[in-house]
Amino acid sequence: MTDTAKELGDLHWLMAILQNIDVGLVVLDRQYKIQLWNGFMENHSGISPQNAKDQCIFELFDEVPREWLMQKIEPVFELKTRAFTIWEQRPYIFRFKNSRPITGRAAIMYQNCSIIPLESVDRVANHICMIIYDVTDIAIHQEDARLAQQVVAELSEFDHLTDLHSRSHWQPLFEREFQRCTRTQRPSSLVIFNIDQFNDINERYGHHAGDQVLKVVADCLRQTMRQTDSACRYSSEYFAVLLVESDQDTALFFAERVRKRLSSLTIPVTEADLKITLSCGIATINERLQHPYEWEAEAEQAVKLAHDQGGNRCMIRPPNER
Amino acid sequence: MITERVSLTEDQRDCYQEIVNVAMGQAADRLARLLDAYVVLPIPQVNLIEANDLHMAIQGAEDNHAISSVCQGFIGSGIAGEALLLFNDTSFEDLATLMNYSGPLNRYGELELLMDVSSVLIGACIQGIGDQLGIHFNQGHPVVLGQHCQVADIVKSGNHQWNKTLAIEIHYTLEHVNIDCNLLLLFTEDSVAKLNNKIDYLLD
Amino acid sequence: MARALPPEWEVEVFFANDGLEGLEVIRQGNGEVVFLDLTMPNLDGYGVLETIRKEDLPAMVIVVSGDIQPDAQTRVKNMGAMAFIKKPIDAEKARAILTEYGIMAGGADDH
Repeated sequence: MTDTAKELGDLHWLMAILQNIDVGLVVLDRQYKIQLWNGFMENHSGISPQNAKDQCIFELFDEVPREWLMQKIEPVFELKTRAFTIWEQRPYIFRFKNSRPITGRAAIMYQNCSIIPLESVDRVANHICMIIYDVTDIAIHQEDARLAQQVVAELSEFDHLTDLHSRSHWQPLFEREFQRCTRTQRPSSLVIFNIDQFNDINERYGHHAGDQVLKVVADCLRQTMRQTDSACRYSSEYFAVLLVESDQDTALFFAERVRKRLSSLTIPVTEADLKITLSCGIATINERLQHPYEWEAEAEQAVKLAHDQGGNRCMIRPPNER
Repeated sequence: MITERVSLTEDQRDCYQEIVNVAMGQAADRLARLLDAYVVLPIPQVNLIEANDLHMAIQGAEDNHAISSVCQGFIGSGIAGEALLLFNDTSFEDLATLMNYSGPLNRYGELELLMDVSSVLIGACIQGIGDQLGIHFNQGHPVVLGQHCQVADIVKSGNHQWNKTLAIEIHYTLEHVNIDCNLLLLFTEDSVAKLNNKIDYLLD
Repeated sequence: MARALPPEWEVEVFFANDGLEGLEVIRQGNGEVVFLDLTMPNLDGYGVLETIRKEDLPAMVIVVSGDIQPDAQTRVKNMGAMAFIKKPIDAEKARAILTEYGIMAGGADDH
């Protein structure tokens, strides 16, 4: 085979690839007349390369935003830089209808576009190439993700059962309070409550009864705490209350009030009237604490101590030194 | 796979700085022509950074300014990386004026301006570096990482697939107007040794 | 920069790391011809030009910069710079400028 024949053969392959590749390729000259129109463009527009050739792109396609696109393309000719447009700016450049009845969930094809200069031998860009990508799937997934995130954000601010703050929402408040206290040297206290024998309630009376108990405890906390305090569902049957500007004595007073109030209540569930008690652990901020999690750890130790000693009591960490 | 230890000598750093200086000058020239304004050129920061310190790599990252951001990958001759443009949200008003943008300055309007500026700055800077090193960089499609958010939301530290790599930071400002943006070029860990080879060749 | 200077040009070359150091060299009379970068720490090229003009220091300044904005060139010329060389430096252009301004006429000058 002669070299020329081989080159022609290679060119033939390249053309076949351009025709079949699943991105749109459009070459425009300085007058915005179409010089190349590949299979992707033909298939989605229904306009054959013969009919597209030498037509001004803006005359062939009404929907192509003339001024906007020229603003992007002119620098490509002039400065030989590349330009990019994304679907977030404009969903599409060419209005191509959805071609996928099963997986296509948008009415039109979302498009990204790269515009690259094509230099001729004299190093002048007399042509540019628009590369059109179908990004419908990305656009739809992104929109789905955005909606899902919105829902999650709304859900996660509050614990859906007790209507108290969720742990994830409360945690930053708590950490900020820790920083504030270390800075201002003012006392604040953390109280963690645990419902005694909660698993027994769940096992004997069912989860519905357990849920009922959780709601009552939450109500009790809400009614007892001040507006400036913040409570959260700490984990399954644990609750945490952050008492702002409260020293150990104030915190103990608060915890005792909650404990006594709750132990005096009767909670009616389907099969029985329940009496419940709480274990409370109190930790007031002190100079030994380096990090918010150490503060939490002290309150957790205290509540464990209260539980180990039979429950229905309040314990303090560190022990009152007076 | 064990990657080579990433390192940087003072001579290499100077050389990178010089190359970036030229590239950012070319980018600034394009931007100046686009906006008809004078771009103030700072000294580019060339550093090796650890993955954990990514957020620190951005000057003023601790500022609580709302920003908008675009990221774009580039690759050529086995050297790859990403360019991240962080645009101070307070810049859009002046930018719209300079670009004669007449539409409403909402999210979409800002996105248009952001894309136009990033095309110019990222493209020219990458090409400028490539030209000097004899590399043709192909650019991927830009991705908007966020609008009206904090630096911390965009440049999250941790979970990166690298330990230590080369970061180049350029802080562009415009004279007399309130336009302020940061361009961060981050190369992949594997690219650094290849880049250093090219730099050593220039130094000889 | 030093590599872009014509090799046959017999001059002593002083290097300064920033604008302030550069001014010291000039004040000591060692900067007859100054190749001045614009982007420098401590004192930038504009600052150096301004000081040279204010103190009326004896220096022929050729700005060498990657800042190729048209505005930068106009500004430095207005501030007294003799010529502007764009980075990356083309050795041939550097030679042409040195000859054009008679700084390197025949290479016989003693600096």
